[in-house]
Amino acid sequence: MSDVFGISISALQAYQTALAVTSNNIANANTPGYAKESVNLTAAVPQTDGSAPIGAGVQVASVTRAFSQLAENQLNSSQSTLGQLNSLQNYTGQIDNIVGTSAGGLSTALQNYYNAWSTVANNPTSTAARQALLSQAQSVASAFASTNTQLQGLNSSINQGIQGDVTQINSIGTSIAALNQQIVTATANAGGQPPNDLIDQRDQLVSNLSQLVGISTTTDSTGAVNVFVGNGQPLVLNDQATALTTVGNQFNASQLEVASSANPKVSISSQITGGDLGGLLASRTQAVDPAVNQLGQIAIALNQTANAQQNAGLDLSGNLGANMFSVAGPQASASANNSDNTTAAVSITNVGALTANNYLLSYQGGAYSLTNAATGSAVAFTGNGTAGNPITADGLSIVLSGTPASGDQFLIQPTAQAAGSFAVALTGTAQIAAAGAIQTSVAGTNTGSATISSGSVVNAANPNLLTTATIQFLSPTTYSVNGAGSFAYTSGSNISQNGWQVQISGTPATGDTFTVQSNAGGTGDNRNALASANLQTQGILSNGTVSVNGAVSSLITGIGSQAQQINTAQTAQTAVNTQALQSVQSVSGVNLDEEAANLLQWQQAYQASAQALSIANGTFTFFMDSINGTYS
Amino acid sequence: MTMRVTQSLNQTQFLSALDTLESNLSQTQNQVSSGLNFTSPSQDPIAAGAVNNYDQALAQSQQYTANGNSAQTSLQTEDTALSQLQNQLQSLRSLALEANSGTQTGEDLTAIAEQATQIQNSLLTLANTQDGNGQYIFSGFASQTQPFSLTATGASYAGDQGQNQIQIAPGQTLPVGDNGDVVFNQIKTGNGTFTAAANAANTGSGILGATSVTGTTGYSGKTYSINFTAPNTYQVVDSLGNVVTGGAYTSGQTISFGGAQVTLTGQPATGDSFSVAPSGNQSLFATVQSLITAIQSGASSPTAVPALNNAVGTALNNIDQAISQTSTVQASVGGRLNTITTQQSVQTSQQTQLQQSISSLQSLDYASAITSLDSQNTTLSAAMQAYTLTQGLSLFKYIQ
Repeated sequence: MSDVFGISISALQAYQTALAVTSNNIANANTPGYAKESVNLTAAVPQTDGSAPIGAGVQVASVTRAFSQLAENQLNSSQSTLGQLNSLQNYTGQIDNIVGTSAGGLSTALQNYYNAWSTVANNPTSTAARQALLSQAQSVASAFASTNTQLQGLNSSINQGIQGDVTQINSIGTSIAALNQQIVTATANAGGQPPNDLIDQRDQLVSNLSQLVGISTTTDSTGAVNVFVGNGQPLVLNDQATALTTVGNQFNASQLEVASSANPKVSISSQITGGDLGGLLASRTQAVDPAVNQLGQIAIALNQTANAQQNAGLDLSGNLGANMFSVAGPQASASANNSDNTTAAVSITNVGALTANNYLLSYQGGAYSLTNAATGSAVAFTGNGTAGNPITADGLSIVLSGTPASGDQFLIQPTAQAAGSFAVALTGTAQIAAAGAIQTSVAGTNTGSATISSGSVVNAANPNLLTTATIQFLSPTTYSVNGAGSFAYTSGSNISQNGWQVQISGTPATGDTFTVQSNAGGTGDNRNALASANLQTQGILSNGTVSVNGAVSSLITGIGSQAQQINTAQTAQTAVNTQALQSVQSVSGVNLDEEAANLLQWQQAYQASAQALSIANGTFTFFMDSINGTYS
Repeated sequence: MTMRVTQSLNQTQFLSALDTLESNLSQTQNQVSSGLNFTSPSQDPIAAGAVNNYDQALAQSQQYTANGNSAQTSLQTEDTALSQLQNQLQSLRSLALEANSGTQTGEDLTAIAEQATQIQNSLLTLANTQDGNGQYIFSGFASQTQPFSLTATGASYAGDQGQNQIQIAPGQTLPVGDNGDVVFNQIKTGNGTFTAAANAANTGSGILGATSVTGTTGYSGKTYSINFTAPNTYQVVDSLGNVVTGGAYTSGQTISFGGAQVTLTGQPATGDSFSVAPSGNQSLFATVQSLITAIQSGASSPTAVPALNNAVGTALNNIDQAISQTSTVQASVGGRLNTITTQQSVQTSQQTQLQQSISSLQSLDYASAITSLDSQNTTLSAAMQAYTLTQGLSLFKYIQ
């Protein structure tokens, strides 16, 4: 009889446990990281007494978590990718908006600026027209400045983000290390039974960590999880956490990089991918910096063309035009890790060959190497960095102050500073060079019918540009310049001298003279204003194929395409992530209907066992009553 | 094996689907309310870049129209001045003919000279015409410098030979003015090819008449002198003293040599000579001044009629050249005004086209936008309904 009691009681206990586990599942149905638990029942081993063995009841062998390490790993990796894309999407989306509105403003400002030159050409002596031109030039400068300021604002937001992420990563790393220790201890104390809830917590932290940064994990024999970032940089080893830290970029201390506190001198930013942190670092190198550089490239192109045209004309005072705009030149920054004080000076020699790239100049083992700072691919160059033989590549000329120490590095940023520093250099309306530098005239005494073109400036730097020159025909087919030489005359061909170029056409007579002289006093001349207005469509970048406005259009399309591409990738990755989440949930998630069914199942079994106990009790009572003669 | 679906996953998925649907709906809503196909470049990067290019082309084309308007104003100012110049030259021509009629007394000639002086002043005013902005229109580039001032022999020119251009279309520029040197100074003398003149020391009554270029090879370009060795005999010699032709002379005879033909009337005296030389350039003001001087000296010495006739005749030829030059410039101004009008209409139609292109890229297709708004709305409400339906399903409801 005691068998029945024992069996029933073991069943009541087991089903109570089962009901408790099911209730716990229901209670944690919405707990992040909770893995559904189930009771494993086994039949109790009977005691053999020589007769046929009968069972000894039921017992709870273990309570196990429904868990798939593979699904979990897939989810973590997918979350890292999604985290990076979310962060990239945030920044490319902001750049998209900045460029969509501000660069649109830049476009409008540029159109107005060129149109203002046309208005000056229509009325070269009008102070109002000249003032309007200066105002439009100022608008262009403001448009560059505001776009650049907004883009630079993203860089400081990225810095803050990196700092925040590093703090969070470190805090999670410390928690994982602490949980590792508790899990190892608890497992030992429970005779090898895993502490499910602690493991749930730790896995959830690992999952949270994967949203912040791409990680890899290993589980060791004690049940502790080791976490690594980048190229195997340990973040958690068993119960020890190694913190990450932020350091200033070796070339630009205002840009934060990620390093391990174990070796804070070396940035590991380039090794970090995935998660919000990877996304922040990628946003800076792939989205913000290129946008700033491209904007700067446009500023340099505008500066170069506008100034060159100004220099080739005469202002209202009859002087050669001063620069319209000013812009900061290329920057060369020595690495903070360089072992000597060698400096590099960079200048632009050919705007047409200029790119929006940054370059890394390294000196190693007696030789220079030049690479694209973003891609690391080698860039062809000539020269040895001396003043007599500068390193030249992509329209740049680099001169070093001496021979650097081996291992020294310099970051060359040709266009990064340009948009932020772009400013109007002219201060007064009289300084606008609307007139051409030279004028030509036919002597009134000429008897031939030849005419002379109005002339153009080919080299504004020629010191004799404004010196009067006389072209005299020695015969209808030969001429001298300033009384010297005898040159063959071909109608319409170029005659060049002192930095100018003219064409004489038609039939000259012997003795006919033509004069080329300074256009000072020709304040009503609009040739240079006309040429300045026409710069709008003149190709300058990409070897003279892309105009300033064309470059703005490319910037808009490029930024838009990048944002669009990230949006598409993010949408796709969200779907991948949902699937990974489904896989994990389908193994570990709590289904309430299932639990309801289990609840009924355990309830019924409990009730049946209780009934068995009740029957055993009745049988026992009847037996006792019979012995005591209650029934007679 | 079917996948286990859990209530919390259901919830998460529904919420994320709701986010996507609502964000799509909001984007469409944004398109409908702004009327724009895209509000940031990422929604259509290629179109955003293209719209930027079209915007620039449109602004540029509108500037060409503005340039044309400005050029029209300048050219019309010039045209008006040239018309007045033409009128003054015709008046001057009539005066010269009047002076040359041979019936004028000394007083008449003095009066004519005074009228000619008034015309001279009018011509000076016209040559110094300023536009609405106070710029001298016949000064070349030196538009702030008064171009002409009278001198004893004509007028000095302080302008230059510059000519401004204005851009009226891509790659098409048009001269907007004509400098005073072209309009007033570089006027050919005589008949435009050569000029004939009587020697001031002539004592006979020989008067130069019409001149013309003959022959197939045209005027030789050399300088000649027609010398009267006797009142009825002439000899033509070139600048080297070679006799080119010669013969008997009767009044009204045409004499031809070296491609030039001159008519002489009256009776030259022995020793009289007439020169023939290639045309040079002479300022209109020099011509006017020489006319006035000739009439004035005619008035003071009434007997010197042939000298007056010859001098006025030379001036008449030069005035005709000025009239012809003015007509040429005026015709060119008219031609430029026509070009502007033509180009303005080209630019206008181009602007319409560009606006259409921009609109087709940037403006919203309302029909399709409203349709997607409708379908997005339906999807959203269906998703909401599906959620409430599935949420109502629970086994717990049946456990009593």
